[in-house]
Amino acid sequence: MNASVQTIAPRPIVRPGAWLWRGGLLGIWLLLLIFIVYPLLMLLSRAFLDDGHLSLQALGAAITAPKNLRALGNSLLLATMVGVAGTLLGLVFAFTVERVRSAGRLARLIDFFTFLPLISPPFTTSIAFVFSFGPRGLITYELLGIKNVQVYGLTSTFAAETLTYFPIAYLALRPMLASISTSLEEAAFSLGGSRWHAFRTVTLPLVIPALANAFLLLFGCSLADFATPLILAGSDFSVLPTEAYLQITGMFDLKSGAILSLLLLVPAGLVFYTQERLVAGRSYVTVTGKAGVLAQHDSVSGIAGAALLGFCLLVSALIVYFYLLLFYASIVLAFGANHTLTLDHYRVIFSEGLPAIRDTLIIALIGMPLGGIYGIAIGYLVGRTTFISRKAMEVVSMLNYALPGTIVGIAYLLAFNDEPLALTGTAAILIACYVFRYSPIGIRTTVALLQQIDKSMEEASASLGAGSLVTFRRIMLPLILPAFFAGLGVVFIRSMTAISATIFLVSINWTLITVKILENMTEVALGPAAAFSVFVIVVVVLVTSLLNVLLQRLTAPSLRVGRIGA
Amino acid sequence: MAAQSIAIRLQGISAVFHHERRGDITAVKNLDLEVRPGEFLTLLGASGCGKTTTLRVIAGFQKPSSGRILFGDEDVTGLAANQRDIGFVFQNYALFPHLSVFENVAYGLRVKRQGAALIESSVDAGLRQVGLSGMGDRMINELSGGQQQRVALARAIAIRPRVLLFDEPLSNLDAQLRVQMRSEIVRLQKELAITTIYVTHDQEEAMAISDRIAIMDGGLIAQVGSAEELYLRPASRFVAGFLGSANLLRGTVVAVAATMTSIDILGHRWELAANNPVAAGRPVDAVIRPEALTLAKEGAGPRGRVESRTYYGDKAEYLVRVGTDLVQAVQWNPSADDAFSEGDLVCVKLPASNVQLLAVD
Amino acid sequence: MGSRAIAGVRTDTLPKIDRRSLVLGALAAPFVIGRAQAAESLKAYSIWPENYSRPMLEAFEKATGIHVNFIRFSSGEALARLLAERGNPQVDVLFGGPVETFTAGEEQGIFEAYTPPSAADLPKRFKSAQAMWTAIADDPLVFMTNTKFLQEHNLQPPTSWDDLLNPAYKGMLQMADARTSGTAVTRIFSILQVNNRNEDAGFAYMKKLRQNIQAYTKSGGGGTVPVGLGQAAGGIFFIVDALFTRQKGYDVQISFPKEGIGSAAECIGLVKGNKNGAAARKLIDWAASPDMQSLLAPSKINFLPAHPKVAPDPDLAAVLKQAKIIEIDDRWAGDNRKRIIDRWVAEVLNAG
Repeated sequence: MNASVQTIAPRPIVRPGAWLWRGGLLGIWLLLLIFIVYPLLMLLSRAFLDDGHLSLQALGAAITAPKNLRALGNSLLLATMVGVAGTLLGLVFAFTVERVRSAGRLARLIDFFTFLPLISPPFTTSIAFVFSFGPRGLITYELLGIKNVQVYGLTSTFAAETLTYFPIAYLALRPMLASISTSLEEAAFSLGGSRWHAFRTVTLPLVIPALANAFLLLFGCSLADFATPLILAGSDFSVLPTEAYLQITGMFDLKSGAILSLLLLVPAGLVFYTQERLVAGRSYVTVTGKAGVLAQHDSVSGIAGAALLGFCLLVSALIVYFYLLLFYASIVLAFGANHTLTLDHYRVIFSEGLPAIRDTLIIALIGMPLGGIYGIAIGYLVGRTTFISRKAMEVVSMLNYALPGTIVGIAYLLAFNDEPLALTGTAAILIACYVFRYSPIGIRTTVALLQQIDKSMEEASASLGAGSLVTFRRIMLPLILPAFFAGLGVVFIRSMTAISATIFLVSINWTLITVKILENMTEVALGPAAAFSVFVIVVVVLVTSLLNVLLQRLTAPSLRVGRIGA
Repeated sequence: MAAQSIAIRLQGISAVFHHERRGDITAVKNLDLEVRPGEFLTLLGASGCGKTTTLRVIAGFQKPSSGRILFGDEDVTGLAANQRDIGFVFQNYALFPHLSVFENVAYGLRVKRQGAALIESSVDAGLRQVGLSGMGDRMINELSGGQQQRVALARAIAIRPRVLLFDEPLSNLDAQLRVQMRSEIVRLQKELAITTIYVTHDQEEAMAISDRIAIMDGGLIAQVGSAEELYLRPASRFVAGFLGSANLLRGTVVAVAATMTSIDILGHRWELAANNPVAAGRPVDAVIRPEALTLAKEGAGPRGRVESRTYYGDKAEYLVRVGTDLVQAVQWNPSADDAFSEGDLVCVKLPASNVQLLAVD
Repeated sequence: MGSRAIAGVRTDTLPKIDRRSLVLGALAAPFVIGRAQAAESLKAYSIWPENYSRPMLEAFEKATGIHVNFIRFSSGEALARLLAERGNPQVDVLFGGPVETFTAGEEQGIFEAYTPPSAADLPKRFKSAQAMWTAIADDPLVFMTNTKFLQEHNLQPPTSWDDLLNPAYKGMLQMADARTSGTAVTRIFSILQVNNRNEDAGFAYMKKLRQNIQAYTKSGGGGTVPVGLGQAAGGIFFIVDALFTRQKGYDVQISFPKEGIGSAAECIGLVKGNKNGAAARKLIDWAASPDMQSLLAPSKINFLPAHPKVAPDPDLAAVLKQAKIIEIDDRWAGDNRKRIIDRWVAEVLNAG
């Protein structure tokens, strides 16, 4: 996923002791250089260099090769479609939840349903799609009697990705809509014109930056998506991440894989850059030590409201149906052939699949606190202090997050396969991949929270005699606790559900559940694949609920922020 | 209970403020100020005059580009804010939202590692002093604005700092609350005898609570003095116009005697006891407060026409055109007998004494 | 009233853990490579799917006490891994997988020569001339089609390569992607062999076949369940996967083209630079001999045993009766593997 990065003006405060400061800073830079810069340099060198000299031939050939250009074009087309459709869908959902009064009670339900795709292991939607919309699909064939439907290709991939990623747009747009004061709309309304007119001329323009941001987020997600196209795109619609993967894993063509990754890098970089520019200068609701006010909202008129609500419920029902299908596939012997109920698949995953479960949980549980701490450390550094390389650190720390997983995975494979840092085959490489790739969400949340904390809070603490370390520990840390938990949550969720980077990094010593799911999928052992998926979803829901509960208990009521996982 | 009050001295303080787009702005220019021990001094001025910057420099939140700050005999210019032993009350209160009222007030004491029993008694006493006894367990967001303000106050004084600094603490409260709170602040300050610097743009507030007021404009101090001094004897047009309203009537000094000055104003010769004698023959601006002007139906003096009358209940304000000048007059406790209507011809009478003359340059 | 902690944080309810040691322990753990091993053990990449390899390797452990740590990769992936890890081999044995992968690997020098005792009993095509690999099974390709689909379209199970070109199958065939799967490579070489190694003729056929392809799957058996479910009409698979599909309960037909179809030996090889040589050799000995191969039939794993002394499962033999299995020159296949695959990718895969 791509980040929406906010660049903020630094707010200088008194620094901790000089040596502690310098040492910490150096340490962090070292980590960033080893685990972010070095792998990317290795990737670039593999793509551009041939036995040590710059060779643009292979690169040129690859860039102009029709099949690669086609893959690039397909990727861009798909990403654009998903971006637009997903943003619109997210907007409809956000609007319904925020503005339709009767949605109030159902809002929590819709929240949960939209939460599901975000925490699911890969292939969930794809599997369900194939079973529902294929030539013998449950919906197309059994229900609607349509024969010979083509489920592989652009349309399915587009639909599956939209359903998978629109919750991100929903989560990005909802707070925006919530914070727009009704008095603005009421003012417009009182000046004449319909509610739609007020929405169009007042609300919508205010939401446009958020819309653009949501589009970019989804565009980036689709661009980097490896899992869905692997299942659904078919052989006619190739996309870059999948091509790169097949080149490397199938053909051992690390060079081609590296070059294809670079092709992916260009649009991804543009998206990242555009987001930076776009989001710079956004203002935030502040926490200044005074109680806040909740905006009240008016409802949309009856019929329109009911229609919106109905639509959202329909889409939510579709999502729920996919998960029910998944669950069903996990408890029948052979989906489509033998529908005897059985717990055999679960038995299999807990016996033969136990090493993968154990490995994944260990890695996730180690990565979690590391990611959380790393997130607030960097967030605090780039969000609240000044030092020479601050801007550079901000950008570098975001790189692994902004880039598609395939690129990061290949880069890590190239960088850590040989000396000086032979980490392949260890858990360290997987943990490092997760921490440095997904902590930026924690960084971003920390920065956002810090922006909301008025400088006067730190000054008050200083005026009462507290040194900067005490101020950090007693004032800042408790206030950015939600960011720490967000960091924990994200790294955990991603450790359980990510695949596009880590598929290159599993080894005989450490394997992951998501890779097992893919294996089972490709070996068409659907039962275990579904069982693994259900297991992952259950674990993730449990852990994030736990984290949420913990967070609620640890923070003062005035500081409650959104739930983890967003 | 109170430590020895100390004086605060600012010598040659300049502060530069770096703005992202507008570049470097000199917010405070070579400022000298002396605050007496135990005094309540207010920095008064419009927004942008540099009063808040000056306060923040004193607090240590901002480094001055030149000059020295002395607390008593100690040069604190190089000290960080947390080492200056100050109490700062912020405009937005800056209360810690994750801590209870008790913990907010206790914060500074905990930093000093005072014993639990001592902290408890200090905090309870502090809460009692600001009238918030028993509210220790509440969280900040449960309090009203006025209550939050009091917590901020209690927090700042709990550590018995040697200097108290207020940055427009009452500007977010409604009028009635503001009046109530300011008298409480004054009462507390007198009780604790801590040298206090208070920043506000509200002149009525400044006049009500301060021992002395320093009026600032454009990074400089225009005048320092008690409310009376500033009101009755403004040293400049700016100060005259800033505190209350003033009529600045151009006149020419004819003669200066021992106690009386002869001066031509509004086309009439007046004999008045001026505050500050000015050499004869000079043009001056006489500062005449509206309430000092008398309007009468008849009399010797310049005549003017009433252009407008605004009735406020306790007073009536008049705008009278005398020749080319428009003068403001205020009639307190107006009755039907001496009321004038728009269009009436009136006689304007200047006060005989306490007239401030400002040289025209 | 007592001292109060930070409001909202109930420190009395949080367990008192020695945080420092927990963190240190957690940080140290990932750097411990490898696990606590049983008496003897070895590591392997298995190209055989888990449902075939696991029972066999568990039997091996039972018989010898040696534990095999393995992870499954498709043939292309396994080869890619071994090549990438050449400087620092992570495994000792490559277990199972079609011969063309092994000849390619042999060319790249990733194997170490070793001749198990039973190699003496094996025909030439079941062992590498340089003793780099040995066959442990044989796996013919088959056509597999969905019964219901055939009925609905009034078709007979295909008995000729050209039958697959029937427009009725348009967009309904699934078979393996040559970049990752050995099944596909064997299939392609079968087609070339049937055309007497006339590459242009062979590729012309494959280009025509492309029109009927629904999807090329990552692994050889990837299309079996879609065919079983009826989402696809048919495909070309190894017999072991096809029969497994039927065993699971899916209603499918197995047929063979009269022109002939190839078969791939399934092999085992010792990885160069291996760290558990003794145990690895024991595994190779065991797998190449009747010791393992006699277990295939009882386990309902439908590979043909490579060792002549092991009789094939009667049901399996019955199915193969109608088959014309042609021999593919493995040496030639190995030498030209990359070139043919590249050509397939360029001309066939991307032609659609």
